[in-house]
Amino acid sequence: MTDFLVNYSWIIPVYSLVGALITLPWSLGLIRKTGPRPAAYINILMTVLAFVHGSIIFNLVWTRQGQQFVFHWLQVADLDLTLSIELSPVSFGALQLVTGISLLVQIYALGYMEKDWSLARFFALMGFFEAALAGLALSDSLLLSYCLLEALTLSTYLLVGFWYAQPLVVTAARDAFLTKRVGDIALLMGIVALSTYGEGLNFSQLDSWVSGHQLDSTTAAFLGLALIAGPIGKCAQFPLNLWLDEAMEGPNPAGIMRNSIVVSAGAYVLIKLEPATTLSPVSANALILIGAITAIGTSLMAIAQIDIKRALSHSTSAYMGLVFIAVGLRQVDIAFLLLFSHAVAKALLFMSAGSVILTTNNQNVTEMGGLWSRMPATSLSFLVGSAGLLAFTPLGMFWTYRRWFNGAWDVSWWLIAIVMFVNTFSAINLTRLFRVIFLGQPQVKTRRAPEVPWQMSVPMVALMVVTLITTFAPIKWPLWLSPNTPLSLLQPELVSQYSIPLLIASGALGCIIGSTIKVRKAWARSSNIGVRFIQDLLAYDFYIEKLYDVTVIAAVSNLAKITSWLDRYIVDGAVNLVSIATIFSSNALKYNTTGQLQFYIATIVIGTGLLLWSMINSQWSIVTNYWSSLMQ
Amino acid sequence: MLSALIIIPFVSAAIIGLTPLSGKNPRNFAILTAAIILTINLFVCLQFDFQHQGIQFAQDVAWIEWIGLNYHVGIDGLSFPLILLNSLLTLIAILATSPTIQRPRLYYAMLFLLNAGAVGAFLAQDLLLFFLFYELEIVPLYFLIAIWGGTRRGYAAMKFLLYTALSGILVLASFLGLVWLTGETTFDYEILRSHTLPLASQLWLLAPLLIGVFIKIPIFPFHTWLPDAHVEASTPISVLLAGVLLKLGTYALLRFGVGLFLEGWVYLAPWLAVLAGISALYGASCAIAQRDMKKVVAYSSIAHMAYILLAATATTRLSMTAAVFQMVSHGLISAFLFLLVGMVYQKTGSRDVDYLRGLLNPERGLPVTGGLMILGVMASSGLPGMVGFISEFLVFRGSFPIFPIPTLMCLVGTGLTAVYFLLVINKVFFGRLTENLAQLPPVQWKEHAPAFVLLLLIVAFGIKPDWVTHWSEVQAIALLTGG
Repeated sequence: MTDFLVNYSWIIPVYSLVGALITLPWSLGLIRKTGPRPAAYINILMTVLAFVHGSIIFNLVWTRQGQQFVFHWLQVADLDLTLSIELSPVSFGALQLVTGISLLVQIYALGYMEKDWSLARFFALMGFFEAALAGLALSDSLLLSYCLLEALTLSTYLLVGFWYAQPLVVTAARDAFLTKRVGDIALLMGIVALSTYGEGLNFSQLDSWVSGHQLDSTTAAFLGLALIAGPIGKCAQFPLNLWLDEAMEGPNPAGIMRNSIVVSAGAYVLIKLEPATTLSPVSANALILIGAITAIGTSLMAIAQIDIKRALSHSTSAYMGLVFIAVGLRQVDIAFLLLFSHAVAKALLFMSAGSVILTTNNQNVTEMGGLWSRMPATSLSFLVGSAGLLAFTPLGMFWTYRRWFNGAWDVSWWLIAIVMFVNTFSAINLTRLFRVIFLGQPQVKTRRAPEVPWQMSVPMVALMVVTLITTFAPIKWPLWLSPNTPLSLLQPELVSQYSIPLLIASGALGCIIGSTIKVRKAWARSSNIGVRFIQDLLAYDFYIEKLYDVTVIAAVSNLAKITSWLDRYIVDGAVNLVSIATIFSSNALKYNTTGQLQFYIATIVIGTGLLLWSMINSQWSIVTNYWSSLMQ
Repeated sequence: MLSALIIIPFVSAAIIGLTPLSGKNPRNFAILTAAIILTINLFVCLQFDFQHQGIQFAQDVAWIEWIGLNYHVGIDGLSFPLILLNSLLTLIAILATSPTIQRPRLYYAMLFLLNAGAVGAFLAQDLLLFFLFYELEIVPLYFLIAIWGGTRRGYAAMKFLLYTALSGILVLASFLGLVWLTGETTFDYEILRSHTLPLASQLWLLAPLLIGVFIKIPIFPFHTWLPDAHVEASTPISVLLAGVLLKLGTYALLRFGVGLFLEGWVYLAPWLAVLAGISALYGASCAIAQRDMKKVVAYSSIAHMAYILLAATATTRLSMTAAVFQMVSHGLISAFLFLLVGMVYQKTGSRDVDYLRGLLNPERGLPVTGGLMILGVMASSGLPGMVGFISEFLVFRGSFPIFPIPTLMCLVGTGLTAVYFLLVINKVFFGRLTENLAQLPPVQWKEHAPAFVLLLLIVAFGIKPDWVTHWSEVQAIALLTGG
C-alpha cells in the first residue's frame, strides 16, 4: 500500500486539477438546479485527498530520500525534454504547506464567497491554482516549473479578474498578467539559453553544469539576470512589484493564497535554481540589491496605505525582499525558513483582514475602529499573525532570525540593518493597523459587526494554532539545501552577539512608534506641505506607476501607433501608389489611340529606330554578357 | 489513394455547383464530403510510415511530356501534417458557415476547389504541378472574398489576387530558371534536387522564389494584402486562409527554398533570420494599435508565421521539425481565434474593441465565447499545456544556438502577443456590459462545436507534442542532407 502511494505521489497535484474539471458543469452554468455549492464541496474533498496523501508520503519521505520520477516528455532530434518530480522532505514540506493552506482557504471561501453567484467558477479556479502550486512544490525540473509558473500567471489573472465587471479589477488583472509575463519571458529566454548551453533542465543537472560551466562572464551575467527576472515578477520585487498591490482588488480568499503561497512559489523556484541564479556575481549582487530596494521601499509604502489589504500586501513584498537577499548571499536554508514563517503568518493576517472586510463591507481602515470586543477571534488572529511576522519571542520569525544571526552564517552589518528596518516598519504598520481597526471608538461601519460565520472562523482559528505550532520548524530545521553547509558554529562575532537583542529592540521600537503616532489625524491629509508630500509619495508607491505610464507604457503604445501608421501609409501606401500609378499611366496611354495614322507611323518609326540603333551599337551584348557572367 | 484526396473535392465541387441541389442539401452534402475526405486522411495516417525517409504512396504519370510535366504526387512527413490540417479545417469551415448563406451551391463548390488546390500543392512532387495547384487555389479564394466578403471586399479581393498572382509568377520564374540552368527536361522534384548548382546561380534562383513565398506567408514588407483580406473575408474563409493557405508559403519555403537551394539558403540565412525577427516585432507592434479584433488576429498571424522563417533559417535537425510543428500549431490556434472573433461579430455585429464591452456577462453576454477566447489568447501567447508553447519553444531552442539575436527578437514578439491580446480581452470581454449590447442572441452549443474540436487538439498536442513531431521529424532532417 505504501509503495503504491509513493509510486503514485506524482498524482497529488492532479487531484485538485481533476476537482476543477469535475466542477466545470457548475461553473459553466450547465447544472443550475443544485446551486453552486456541490462544486465547492467537490473541490474541498479533492484538496483533503491531496492533503492526506501528501501527509502519508511526508512521513515516509524521511527514509526514502532522493527518489525521483522522470517523465520523458518529448524527444525531438537531439533534444530530450524531461519533466521530473522529486521526493524529498523539502518538496513534500512545501506541498503540505500548499495543500494545507489551500484547504483552510477553501473552507474559508465557503463563508466569504457565499453570496457570490459564481461560487463554482471561483472554486474551479482555486482548484487549478492549487494544482499548479502543488506541482511547483514537487517539480524538480526547470521546464516543468516554468510551465507551472505560467499556469499560475494565468490563474492569477483569472482570479484577480474574477469580478471582471469592475473597472479597477480589469486593470488590476491586466497588470498582474503583463507584469508577471515580462518576468516570465526573460525567464524563458534564460531557459532556452540554459537548455542550449547546459546538460539538461533538471535542477540536479543544472547544479552539476554550473560547477563546471565555460561561459564568458558577460553571457553568464545576462543568463543569471534572465533567470532571476521570472521570480522578480512572481515575488513582486522592484521594479515589477506593483501588480501585487493592485491585485488586492480580487476576492480575498485568493488574496490569502497569493500573499502567502504564490509569492513564495516564485521564490521557491529561485531557491531551487540557486547555483544557476548566482552563476555570475552580477546576478547575485542584483538579487541582493533588488531585495534590499524592495524591502526598504515597500516597508515605507506599507505604512501610508489606508486600504487594509494593500497595507498588508506591501509588507509581503518587503519580506520577499529579505528572501531575495538571502538567496543572493547563497544562504538558501535561511531563505526557505523565511518563506515558510512568512507564509503561515501572512495567511493568518489575510484571513483576519478578510473577516473584517466581509463584516464591514469596507476596506478603508480610516472608517473602522472598535472591533476588538465585537470580533474576538478575528482580532486574536490579527495579533497572532502580527506576532508571527515580527521578531517576537517565541514565534516563527524570531527563530528564523535567530538561525540567521546565530553566527553560523556570514552576515554583515548592512544585512542586520536592513532586517531591523523591515522589522521596525512592519511593527509600526501592524500596530497602527491594529489600533485603527480593532481599538478606539466604533464608527458607522463597525458598529454592527458580528463575528464571522464558522466556515471562516474555524479555518482562522486552526491557522492560528498552526502559526503557534510551526515555531518548532525553524528550531528543528536541519540544513538541507545549502551547498556548503555550516555544520558547526563559527566564532560568534560581534554582529551575531548583538543581532538578536537589536532585532527585538527594533520590533519593540516599532510597536512603540506605532502605538504613539496619532493615527486618525495622521491620515487626514496634513496641512504641512512637507508631510503631505511624503504621505502622498508613500501612499502612491513613490509614483512608480506614473513613472511607468510615461516611460514603458508610453513607449510601447507610441511605437505601436507609429508602426501602425507606417504600415498604413508608407508600406501599404507604396503598394497603393504602384496600383494608382499603373492605372494613371494606362489611362494616360489611352490617349495614344488618337485614330491619327500619322501618329501611329511616327511611333513605329521611332521604336524601330531605337531598336536598330541599339543593335548596331551592340548595346545588347553588354546586357547579355553581364547576365551570363553572373550566372556562372 | 492520394489522388482521391485531389479528385473527391474536384468532383464534389462539380456536383454541388452543377446539380440543382436546394435547401439544406448543398450544406449537408458538403459536410458529408468533407467528412469523407477527413476519413480518408485518417486512413492515410494509419498507413503512413513515420520512420520512412522520402515520399510514400507515390503516383507518377506522365501528363504533358513535351514540357516535362508529370502528374507526380506523393506524401511525406513534411506535407502530411499540412494535408491533415487542410482537410480538418475545411470541415470546420463548412460547419462554421451560416446555414442560410447566400448562393450556397457556388459557395461550397468554391470551398472544395480551394481544398483541392491546397491539397494538390501539398502533394505535388513536380514543380510545375505544384505551381498549377498553387495558382488554382487563388481563383476560388478570390471569389470567396469578393462575393461573400465585407464592405470593402472588392478592394481586398483584388489586392489579394494581384499580390498572390505576382507571388506565383515569381515562383514559376524560379522554377523555370532552375530547369533551364540544370539542363533537365523535367520538372520532377527529386531529379532537380539531385543537381547542385553553383552558389551564384542558386542565389539568383532563390531570390525570386523567396520574394514569391514571402508574399504568401506573409513576411514584412510584403504583408499588406493579408490584413485587408482577413478583415473583408467571412469567418470560414479567414479560418482557411490563416490555417491552411498561408502554410503553402512556408511549405514552399521548406520544400523548395531549403530543399533545392540549400547552399544559397545557408548563405542568406543570417539576413533572413533578422528579417524574421523584424517581421515578428513589426506584426506584434502593429497588432497593439489595431481597433478591429480581426485585424489584431491578422497581424498576430504575421508575427507568428515569422517564427517559421526563423526556424527554417537555422537549418538544424531540431529547428526544421520545429518549423513544421509551428505550422500546425499556428494553423490550429489562428483558426480557433478567427472562429471566435467570427462568433462575436455574428452575435454583436461589431468587431470594434472600443465599442464592445463586458461580453463575459453570464446571463446576457457571450460567456462561453469569452472563456474560449481567453484560452485561445493564452494558447497564442504561448501558455504551457497548449500547443503554442511547445512549438514556439522548439523553434526558439532550435534557432538560438545559430542565431541568438533574432531569436531573442522573436521572444520579445511572443511577450508582445500577451500585450495585444490581453488588451482585446480586457476591452471586449471584461467590464460592464453596455446597454446597446444587452439583447444579444444566445449562442447554441452546437455553434461552438468546431471551436471545441480545435481546442481539444490544441490542448492534446500541447500535452503530447510528440504526436506531431514524430510525423515530420525524419523528413525534416532529410531536407538538410541534400539529395
